[in-house]
This record gives sequence, structure tokens and C-alpha cells, in this order.
Amino acid sequence: MAAQLNNPLPPGYQLEQYRIERQLSLGGFSIVYLARDESGNLVVIKEYLPNSLALRRDGKILPSIAEEHKAAFRHGMRCFFEEGKALAGLSHPNVVRVLNFFRANETVYMVMQYERGRTLQEYVQKSRGEIREKFLRGVFLRLLNGLREVHARKLLHLDIKPANIWLRSEGSPVLLDFGAARQTLAADLRLLKPMYTPGFAAPEMHGERQLLGPWSDIYSVGASLYACMARAAPQAADARIKGDRLVPATKRWAGKYSPQLLQTIDWCLRLNHMERPQSVFALQRALAQPKVAPPPENLISSLRTRLRDLVAQ
Amino acid sequence: MRFTIHQESRPGKRPSNQDRVAYCYSRDALLMVVADGMGGHLHGEIAAQIAVQYLTESFRSEAAPALADPFAFLENGLTRAHHAIYDWAAQRQLADHPRTTCVACVVQNSVAYWAHVGDSRLYLIRDGRVTAQTRDHTRVRLMVERGELDELMAANHPSRNKVYSCLGGSHAPQMDFSRKTPLHAGDVVVLCSDGLWGPLGSELLSRRLRRGNLLEETPRLLDEAEELGGATCDNLSVVAMAWHDDYDDVAGAISTLAMPLDAFTTEMEAFAELHGQPGDVSDEEIERAIRDITAAIRKYSK
Repeated sequence: MAAQLNNPLPPGYQLEQYRIERQLSLGGFSIVYLARDESGNLVVIKEYLPNSLALRRDGKILPSIAEEHKAAFRHGMRCFFEEGKALAGLSHPNVVRVLNFFRANETVYMVMQYERGRTLQEYVQKSRGEIREKFLRGVFLRLLNGLREVHARKLLHLDIKPANIWLRSEGSPVLLDFGAARQTLAADLRLLKPMYTPGFAAPEMHGERQLLGPWSDIYSVGASLYACMARAAPQAADARIKGDRLVPATKRWAGKYSPQLLQTIDWCLRLNHMERPQSVFALQRALAQPKVAPPPENLISSLRTRLRDLVAQ
Repeated sequence: MRFTIHQESRPGKRPSNQDRVAYCYSRDALLMVVADGMGGHLHGEIAAQIAVQYLTESFRSEAAPALADPFAFLENGLTRAHHAIYDWAAQRQLADHPRTTCVACVVQNSVAYWAHVGDSRLYLIRDGRVTAQTRDHTRVRLMVERGELDELMAANHPSRNKVYSCLGGSHAPQMDFSRKTPLHAGDVVVLCSDGLWGPLGSELLSRRLRRGNLLEETPRLLDEAEELGGATCDNLSVVAMAWHDDYDDVAGAISTLAMPLDAFTTEMEAFAELHGQPGDVSDEEIERAIRDITAAIRKYSK
């Protein structure tokens, strides 16, 4: 079914103690706004409004929800609660902070801290020339501190990509958008498909979801690093399984970045989840110490991959 | 009163969570409860829910703002919860009665009072050592006390989980009561289900909670127990409370000094929501989820 686009709340709309400034983004699951609180501070507000289930028509505030979608709409709120719970119990400089959570307009809202800056995606798109290795290592090392905290709470982010990494003006990163962090939720609700971004999602996101683990987020970290160098998303994992056309970072940027960084990226981007770094800590170690070589290529599996590719051709 | 408290309940590797935890406090008294609904009987989670709810509701009506007699409160509360579970099953003509273990603790005037039924435990940790703990109502525990088993054999004994006293069964429960135990600043009181103490053991549990921030240490402790619990990890639940001096300024601590006489704060974990059927999300559940989240925001924003 073709989902219609939802209309955002109008600028100036008073939502509890917050005044909407403008819409920041519109996703399939929610709308994100920039707003001001009663003392004039900027905050980010995320409104739960899946467009496949609830429609806000032009000029209206309350969304209309078809009778047959009411249960699914409520059920989807759980995903939103999961995100809220995940973030509320986390206080880390590299993870976005939740300030408030409330119910209004027949849906629910999450208020998060706003900080000056831009996304890593914007940064990469606007910068001229190569992104420097030192910058990449610095951003990702700190980001991984935040991700480690997330994993320590038995949560997976599952949607790490440059657009979900915020760079404060002073350069430190903040992990945003835990909308996909919902490992506990039933995947059988057809209208609320698990969301992921092609190119950044690990192969197990596409199929065998019981294999999801820290290594799935690590795949996305590798894909994000790759994307910063390529200025485009890498080939999607499901397509890679059918025919891997992803040029290894070690080959594509040989001589431009240190072999150790490029090897680490390729290590994260292994299709077999067992062959990637198994924990954020392992990856951090590789990123922090340029001299440590990643584990040797698994000969048999690389032969198997090559054989499979030959057969596929 | 000033204290830091954290409660958490996780399903482990089980399909549903039959543990229930809650705490509730007035200006002058604090109640903490853990109940572990028994598997192998129907509706263990309902028995646990009734026990926890019954005790917290009695507390709210009787602690005004202090309880007249904490031991009498515990005895009456547990006995009536037992009858309430029994009646619930009888009304529905269930062949098998739901059952639950229960451990409950009251703190009032810096003195702790506790009682338990079954194998959910309470530990009092002082200076990193367990200075008091409940004795499980299990045959295995009796055998250890008679010298027929050592701790290691007990930990692996096939009937280590068989309790001879519980709430909701056909027999009147056997309850054990503590002494009146004055709390010192720095004491940690831990109530937990066997899903937590089983994999960890008393030694490790007390070592982990001896210092540091309870709000951070407790989730880690659960992680560790879950890891040790492995592929069949049981439901695991805990209420952990660190006692402070009234004038100690501890980050994340709760002070009841400024509370009105008739005010109560109750925290009950809301787990059912993750395991319910799609579509049965009630208004109440939404409100509860929002309450949980805002409570967590407040707790961690200090």
C-alpha cells in the first residue's frame, strides 16, 4: 500500500510547554521537530506517527487512525517506548539525551537535547577533498564509547549511519535516533516493518534476525566509515550476498589511508557475522592503536567466497 | 529517610517473566517486595502480581506515614496475599493453584524488618560482607544445614528449586521473620529472585554491590547473572537499596524529608507489556510506560 505523507505540526504550534519552530525530518515512523521550551532553549521533539497507520491531514492536529489500524498503532507505540526507555536509562556524552516524554494529540512525544552542529553525513557532503584519517579515527573512537554503553544495556542500535551521527560544533560525536533499537519487538507486524537503511544494515538485518548482535552494529560502523571515504553508501548487504561488488577499502583507498584503518573497515564489513570484530571494545582497540594488525584473513572462508563468486558469474 | 534504590526485572532466556518487583515509600517508611511466580504451575505471574500488588496497596493504606507494627504488617500482608491468590484461583475453578515465592522488607526509623516465603532472598550487605540473609524454604537448604550437602553440591542439586513454602498453594505458607535490624549508613539491602542469586552466588553478589553507585552496579550485576545463567537463564529480579544518613548528599538518592504526610511513591516494574499480544495495549499501559520513562529520566539526569 502506498503510504501517504503525514503533515507536520505547524510552526508556532504550542505542544505542552514547547513551541514548535520547524520540522527537521519526516520518517516512516515519526516526525522530528525543532522546538523551544518555556525558557527559550532549543530542543528536538520526536512525534510517533507511522504514516502507514495514522494520517494527519492538512490543517488538522489530531491524526486520523482507521479502526482496523488502531491496535497496530498502539502496538507500534511500544517501539517508541522502547526507544525512550533505552535512552532514558543512559547518560553518556556520546549518546543523545532524553529530557522528557509525554502523551498528547492521541500519540506520544519524546523530547531530546538539542546541540549545535550537523550530521556526519552533512559534514562529509560539504567538505571538499578527502576526509582526514585523524578526523575519522577521532570521531569513531568516541562514538564507539557511546555505542559500548548502549550494548552494555543489552540494546542494539541497528540503524547506525552517517545521518544518525551528530557532530557537535566542537567536533565530538553524538549517536542519534534509536528508532530501530527494538530487539524485543515482534517482527510479525507487517505494517511496522523493522526499519533499516540499505548499505548500512548488516546482512542479518535482511534475513536471519536471530543472528543480530553487537557485530550487526559493528557492520554499520564499518559501512559508515566506508561511506565517509566513498561519499556514498556501500553496496547493500542483501545485494552483496547475491554478488559482492563491494571493492574492499584496502584496495580502493590504498595509499590514501593507513592500511591498518582500511583493514579494520574491511574487517567490520565481512558478510559472515562471526568474522567481524565481536565487540565494540575489539573494534576500539583496532582503531586506537594504528600498529596492531587485524586478525589474519580466514583462508578457507575467503576461498569459499571467491568460489561462490565464480559460480555466481 | 535518605536512600538510593534500583529495581529491575528481566525475563532471562524464558519466554515470559513471572517475577514481580516493587517498592513503595511514604515520608517515614519504605517497603520493598520481590515475588517469583512459580513455573510448573499455571499463572505463576498472576500469583506474583497479586502478592506484590496486595502488599503495596496495604502499605499505602496503613503507612500513615509510619506503620504501627512492621512485623504485623508483613505477617498480615503475606497471609492475606496467600488467601487472595487462593481465592482468585478458586473463583475461576482452576485445577492447579498459582503459586509464588515472596520476600518483603520494611524500613522505618532506620530499622529494617523482613519476612520471606520460599527461595527469594534478602541479603544485608555491610562493609562488603553479607551480615544477614534469609534461609530458603527448600529441602536442599535443610540438607546443607544438616551437613548432608556442601554449598557446591547444593548449587547443582536437581531439586534445588523445589520450595516447601509458598503463597497460593493448598497449605498455609511458612513464613520466617528477621530480627529488628538497625541500618547503618552505607548498608545495602538486596531482595532478589533465584534467577539472580543462583548464577552469581552470595559471595559474588555482595562483592559487586559493596561500593560504587547502585544505579550503575545493579544493571551490571544483572548482566553478569544473565551471562552466567547461559542458555536457560531464569527470570531475574532485584530491588537493591543503599541506606544513607539523612544529611548525606548522594547523587541519585531519594530523600523523603520533604514529602507530605499522606504522599506515597510506588514503583512497580511493568513487564507484561513486552510479552502481551499485539493490540492489547491499554491506556493504563501507555501511562505506565510513560511514568517509567520519566522516572528513569529524572533518576539519571542528576
